[in-house]
Order: sequence, then C-alpha cells, then structure tokens
Amino acid sequence: MRINVTVNGIAYEKDVAENRTLLRFLREDLGLTGTKEGCGAGECGACTVFFNGKTVNSCMVLAVEANEGTIETIEGESSGGMLSRLQEAFDRHHAVQCGFCTAGMIMSARELIHHTPHPTVDQIKEGLEGNFCRCTGYEQIIEAVLDVTGGYTAKEELIHV
Amino acid sequence: MIHQFSYTAPTELTDLLTLLETVGPGARLLAGGTDLLVNIRNGLVKPNTLVDVKRIPEAHAIMSDNTKGLRIGWAVTINDILRNSDIASSYQLLQTCAHDLASYQVRNRATVVGNIVNASPCSDMAPALLCLDASVEIASSKAYRTVPVRQFFTGVKRTVLKPDEMVIGITIPIQSKGAKGKYRKLKRIQGHDLGIIGVAVARVGDSLRIAVSSAAPTPVATGALPLDITDSEALAAVDALISPISDVRCTKEYRRFMVSEFTRRLLAEVRS
Repeated sequence: MRINVTVNGIAYEKDVAENRTLLRFLREDLGLTGTKEGCGAGECGACTVFFNGKTVNSCMVLAVEANEGTIETIEGESSGGMLSRLQEAFDRHHAVQCGFCTAGMIMSARELIHHTPHPTVDQIKEGLEGNFCRCTGYEQIIEAVLDVTGGYTAKEELIHV
Repeated sequence: MIHQFSYTAPTELTDLLTLLETVGPGARLLAGGTDLLVNIRNGLVKPNTLVDVKRIPEAHAIMSDNTKGLRIGWAVTINDILRNSDIASSYQLLQTCAHDLASYQVRNRATVVGNIVNASPCSDMAPALLCLDASVEIASSKAYRTVPVRQFFTGVKRTVLKPDEMVIGITIPIQSKGAKGKYRKLKRIQGHDLGIIGVAVARVGDSLRIAVSSAAPTPVATGALPLDITDSEALAAVDALISPISDVRCTKEYRRFMVSEFTRRLLAEVRS
C-alpha cells in the first residue's frame, strides 16, 4: 500500500507492505536507526516514537496505520547539530550507558514534560514506566528529567528513589 | 516474521459493518493493536484481513449526558479516559482502573473496547465496567443489540460477539454517575505488569458492587449488595464467584486469599 507520512517534518510517499511495522519502516525504509527494537511486544519502550503527537511503541503499530499521519523520532530531537536541553541533561547526568534505551527514554520524557512541565519524581517514574533501562538503574535518568524541568536540587534527595 | 495480510481502513461505520459481513471470520478488527499485533507477530492468530476501525470520527467520542449517562466510542483509548474531565468528576472508578493498565505508551494506543473484546480474565477495565453496570452496544450490518457487560464474557478470550458483529460503544447508566469506587491490583512491580488478581469495590447509590479480575475464566462481579451487608457476607459472596487457577504467577490458594484480603480492605475504604 502507498502511504504518505511526515517524519521529523519531512514528507515521504512510500510503498510499504501491509505487514510492515512502523518500527521497521522507520529503520529499514527511511534509515532512521536511532529508534531501537528491544522486545517487540510493547514491554520495553526502546521503539517509542511520537505518532500524531502521542508516544507509541512503534513495534506495535503498522506502517500503513501512519498513512496521512505525522511521526517524530529521536533524529528530530536535536536541531542544527545542537543537542536539545533534554539530551544535554541526559549527557550531563550520565543517564546514558549503552544507549539502547535512550531514544525511547527521550521520547517518553518529552511527552511527560509536554503534559507535566514540572513533574515530581513519582510522576517521572510513571511517565517512564514503559521504558526499560538495563544499565544505569534509572536514577541518573530521573535526575536528568528533573534537571531539565527545574526540579533538580541536590543528589542526596534522590538516593533510593 | 509477520505473515501477509491485507489492510483496510473504512471511514464510515456502515462500510465497516458491510465489510465485516463480506470478509467473514478471516478478518480481525484493528484498534490499538496492543494485543492483536503482538499475537500476529507470535503467530498465534493469522487473519487474512485487518480492518482498522480508527478512521471513523465517531469512534473516538466520549459523550457525557445528564439523562443518559456516559457513552464511550469504540476507539476511545485508555489515556483518553484518563484525560477526560467529565469522567474524572463523575465516573472516577474508570480512571482508577485505567491508570493501572499497562504502560503510558500502551495506554496511548489501547482502547477500552479492545480491553473487553479481548475477554482476558485479567482485563483492567472490566472490574470498573462491571461495578458501574455498563452495557455493550453491538452492531452488525443487519442488527443492533445491547448486552450488559456482566453477560458479555462467555469464557477465557470468549464473548457473545458473532463473527459479523462488532462493539460500537460502551454505555454507563446515569444511575452510576458519582459512584465511589476503589480498585486494587496485585502485581509484582509498581509499573507495567499483568495483574495477579484485581478487585474493585464501588458504592453505587444505596448499594455495593464488587468485581474481581484474574480469579475466574472471566472477570466476575456480584449483583447489587445492600450497603449494610456485613464483611463476612460480602466476602462469602465474592468467594462463591471466583474459581482461581494456579499458574506461573501464583497458586490458586494465594489468589483466593488475596481476593478476600483486598475485598476486605476496599470495603472499609469505600464505606469510610
């Protein structure tokens, strides 16, 4: 089926197989490999992207469903070669280790901040509950989100979150 | 590897229902896809046609009316429920249960109707809908009927739906408006997890209703119980409804114990 889809502000017209997931379409047809496949079953959140303004697990969306829609991925987060404030905060707080979960974490954090500009630690945990990290242990990720939303004061407060 | 299928996305309900009649049992309806697409990927179901039900505008409507109650369209998502101010003020138990369903991204896609059409014993929305005495609106190209949610499930992953029928909405009667309800779901972690058991208790007008998930082949609920029922009578009523099994999550004895324990705690909270 032929689809028209806007990804990170660029309009594409592409033929895709009906059984192709949005994730595969982004990675293999458009070469946007920042979005990762982890579990393939909606558990881990590594494949999180924005679909019509809402975060979804792109492994559980068909590319054909995105016809006439808009998609935003991690590749659209920076602009003009400059990291976004959220990305800088992840860098500053060492919230990235292997990096596999990071694209999805940034997408979910972006959605959280959109709905809740000044989240509490509990709200951050809930906003990121669909994103698994197997390296850093979440604390640095929560710190990064707190920092970019003005809630970060001292590390002591965050121990044992 | 995902098998090949065709995909269609009608923009009118009449076209969708006609299509469902023509294509027959080889078709599956695609709403949020959070169960269906995983099952397809795992080779558990192999539909030859996926019919996307989300391109019809009325599918997304939530209507709150002072005489008719609440109506939820067939593609309303779990996060739509959580963001709706009428539901927050008048049908709060729906939000309490919605809040416990899967993860944020899944809630952006998963639909209320999909959650009951799948007929999983561990449905998170069923306890709220049962307590609030909801009905299911069912349509085919030829007929329309409504079925109370309490009669909708017929077994594990089974419902009263016929192959040419689809659920086009869920209605909650005005009598359930303002019901005070609580839901508690036992799970291994605070975040995204399937329930080990779930219990909802609601005070609707001058009666109590108790619904339980993951403790019988279908979600189950008591009828209207008198407000002054004793705890032991209420616990006995719930105990008679359930038939838990032992599985990877826990034993049937533990499930029975925790259903009783959660019911006792929630009764106290709802009565206070």
